[in-house]
Amino acid sequence: MPEQPPYEPEGAVAGTGTGGAMDLAASEARSLEPTAADPRGRPRGLWSDAWRDLRRNPVFIVSGLVILFLVVISVRPSLIASGNPLACDLAKAQQGSQPGHPFGYDGQGCDVYTRTVYGARTSVTVGVLATLGVAVLGSVLGGLAGFVGGVWDAVLSRVTDVFFAIPVVLGGLVLLSVVTSDTVWPVIGFMVLLGWPQVSRIARGSAITAKQNDYVQAARALGASSSRLLLRHIAPNAVAPVIVVSTIALGTYISLEATLSYLGVGLKPPTVSWGIDISAASPYIRDAPHMLLWPAGALAITVLAFIMLGDAVRDALDPKLR
Amino acid sequence: MGRYVVRRLLQMIPVFIGATLLIFLMVNVLGDPVAGLCGDKACDPATAARLTHEFGLDRPVLQQYATYMGHVLTGDFGTAFNGEKVIDLMGSAFPVTVRLTIVAILFEVVLGLGLGVLTGLRRGRLLDTAVLLLTLVVISVPTFVTGLLLQLLLGVEWRWISPSVSPQAAFGELIVPGLVLASVSLAYVTRLTRTSLAENLRADYVRTAIAKGLPRRRVITRHLLRNSLIPVVTFIGTDIGALMGGAIVTERIFNIHGVGYQLYQGILRQNTQTVVGFVTVLVLVFLAANLLVDLLYAVLDPRIRYA
Amino acid sequence: MLLEVRDLHVEFRTRDGVAKAVNGVSYGVDAGETLAVLGESGSGKSVTAQAVMGILDTPPGRITGGQILFQGKDLLKLKEGERRRVRGAQLAMIFQDALSSLNPVLPVGDQLGEMFVVHRGMSKKDARAKAVELMDRVRIPAARERVRQYPHQFSGGMRQRIMIAMALALEPALIIADEPTTALDVTVQAQVMDLLAELQREYRMGLILITHDLGVVADVADRIAVMYAGRIVEQAPVRDIYKTPAHPYTRGLLESIPRLDAKGRELYAIKGLPPNLMDIPPGCAFHPRCPMARDVCRTDAPALHQVADHRVSACHFWRECLDA
Repeated sequence: MPEQPPYEPEGAVAGTGTGGAMDLAASEARSLEPTAADPRGRPRGLWSDAWRDLRRNPVFIVSGLVILFLVVISVRPSLIASGNPLACDLAKAQQGSQPGHPFGYDGQGCDVYTRTVYGARTSVTVGVLATLGVAVLGSVLGGLAGFVGGVWDAVLSRVTDVFFAIPVVLGGLVLLSVVTSDTVWPVIGFMVLLGWPQVSRIARGSAITAKQNDYVQAARALGASSSRLLLRHIAPNAVAPVIVVSTIALGTYISLEATLSYLGVGLKPPTVSWGIDISAASPYIRDAPHMLLWPAGALAITVLAFIMLGDAVRDALDPKLR
Repeated sequence: MGRYVVRRLLQMIPVFIGATLLIFLMVNVLGDPVAGLCGDKACDPATAARLTHEFGLDRPVLQQYATYMGHVLTGDFGTAFNGEKVIDLMGSAFPVTVRLTIVAILFEVVLGLGLGVLTGLRRGRLLDTAVLLLTLVVISVPTFVTGLLLQLLLGVEWRWISPSVSPQAAFGELIVPGLVLASVSLAYVTRLTRTSLAENLRADYVRTAIAKGLPRRRVITRHLLRNSLIPVVTFIGTDIGALMGGAIVTERIFNIHGVGYQLYQGILRQNTQTVVGFVTVLVLVFLAANLLVDLLYAVLDPRIRYA
Repeated sequence: MLLEVRDLHVEFRTRDGVAKAVNGVSYGVDAGETLAVLGESGSGKSVTAQAVMGILDTPPGRITGGQILFQGKDLLKLKEGERRRVRGAQLAMIFQDALSSLNPVLPVGDQLGEMFVVHRGMSKKDARAKAVELMDRVRIPAARERVRQYPHQFSGGMRQRIMIAMALALEPALIIADEPTTALDVTVQAQVMDLLAELQREYRMGLILITHDLGVVADVADRIAVMYAGRIVEQAPVRDIYKTPAHPYTRGLLESIPRLDAKGRELYAIKGLPPNLMDIPPGCAFHPRCPMARDVCRTDAPALHQVADHRVSACHFWRECLDA
């Protein structure tokens, strides 16, 4: 009788049906192929299988190429944009598309194309750094709590709950409204502060599951040290779900940065950011929609690419969900 | 069940204290609580000192928090920047945001569930692919961009709606803002329903139902949906709190005088009592919604037992 | 014949290719008779049963040929509505894993009663009474109280009894039981099997018993069909097959049963793996694993040879096999 831990009912519905008629047939067909049986090779099998799946997945290829492109122009925006995003001419404010300036000019008379290209750098930087911070902090805290258990686990769980109870945008408004720095760091810091519980919950879950695995129990019985258990057995188990969540979260962090900038508490000029440009363009949306649509389009494509990448990676790493 | 509720309520206390304390600290430590008290001007040093003392701001932060919470528990949420009682602001703001949230939830249930069921049953068809792509786009475009575009198209270009909502904020005016507020969750509900349905479609008990010779409609409504919708209901329930807290963007776009608007004003003017007061209530709503979802879960899924 | 499957072909189209799951299966069952279908997983025994029931997942599954005659009518030619009315009422199925095969969120009484509501147009109340009656019939204690309980509140054996009750509800002419006892404890297995056999006698139903367990078969089956790679390789009355198998695969299966009188001797195992259904070996599909294989086995697929009355074998060398 499944007596569920009352606090986290998310995991409870899993047990509906172990495989329908199609699974049955498919597994009948599949089980006949000779399989490489190497009990220790399980993680490696997972990764190489996932990679084989990904290479054949058009969603992965397209989103991967978009992201690669974004990364390249983030590192070297001058490759495709020769202008200076901060060189503006008020006389040209709000002008539309013209030769050499395909996206037109914004409210300050800056070239929208150049600003859109340079905006990628900010978004990618914020997204990547926030995700890294969240992933590292979240996995370390969550993994340790799940592994150690006891009081630490209980305390961390409550702290996680506290952070979950605070609406993200609201927290951002409160925390960032008093910040005067015009760098990206406060925004990244805020995202890590409010984002880590999401990852820590997952890392904790994986650590607990891994801890209960027979081979980990066996390793423990054979006298493996705690640090060895953590690194050799528990960490590899938690990596896949953390990667999946992080990839998808990366897109949402980029979106969140823009939202915060729109609300006036995110990044500040002279930082070039899609969020700032969209926010600045929004009052003139009727007369000069191009000022808003280009950065908004770039933002949407970027977020979409990361979310699709995350989807593809999840499908590859967790074939059950397919 | 009763014991479970009591235990959950007890567990909510530290979360409640933690979340409100966190916000309290953010506002107090990082900001200047007195700054907003003299209207738009900065306070002169003498007034500032007097106010600081009057509000007990010279005492340790934790003590301030305790005093504040003591007041809150007796229903005294303090005073907003314009001298209005925060509780009165809440009285005018919360009904508006609650209406907005109701509209959003309705969209999630009707549109999200509907599309999810439709696509989940027709996986791989044209409609499925189209809806799936649409949900991805909706998730990828930030809410504020969706909101601005809809406002431009429906409100300004085609004049189907008024671009901004009147202070009364009747249900009729909140349809488009509600859709904007719901948009991202709506897309998630669609995807979640679709996945859950597709997963359960392959479940053994569905095969049994077909083998029993039940009509397709009965297999779907009585067997498939009952099981597939459990996680979706959970998601929508949990989303209530998130929607109310996230309404700030939508309310700003459509100029709706709800919770988000008041909070925004409070933050701009660094009015501790408004901000902490509203956040306190939002946290309570979030916690209550989560408790409700957990209890609902036990009703929907008999396998779950609360001890 | 109550049910006659003629030259049935089923394939599955997957991303990796076409899996030929059933390749020309023919078998039949009479009223009151028990046919055991034996084979390893992947032999096509379950897929054949699903095709008969009409619960094959299409796609990826596809019936590419053959007939399924039930009470004289070809089920494959019926419209979906007519087919549905046969399902559950005339033709019922018992699945292996009762826990996952029963709906977790509906009381068992509702799931049993549903048969009467849908097929017989009964009121909910009458259907509930029928459900209690059925649970009594399969000897579930305190049926009147337990009818309101959910599947997870029953033990494995009791759950399988509920599956049996559900199959029995409308007194069908034929029941297909797909590994009905595999998921159960050994002690419970015998009880459930006995109950099933007893009820079958009582109602004079035809029974197709799908299993890989030769021990179960000996007690209850009248005839045995052995399947390999989507084909029947041998079909015979149960006593004959145990005494003198006419196919090397059957012999391998029989020799791999642990026996008390052979204690201490090494257990026989058929060498090699079952074939990949995407790439079934030419000739006799069993030849790569067959101790008797010769050149002809690699090139010519053996026909079903009439070995004796009611006995067939798909082996070129069935005579040698019988003599061995």
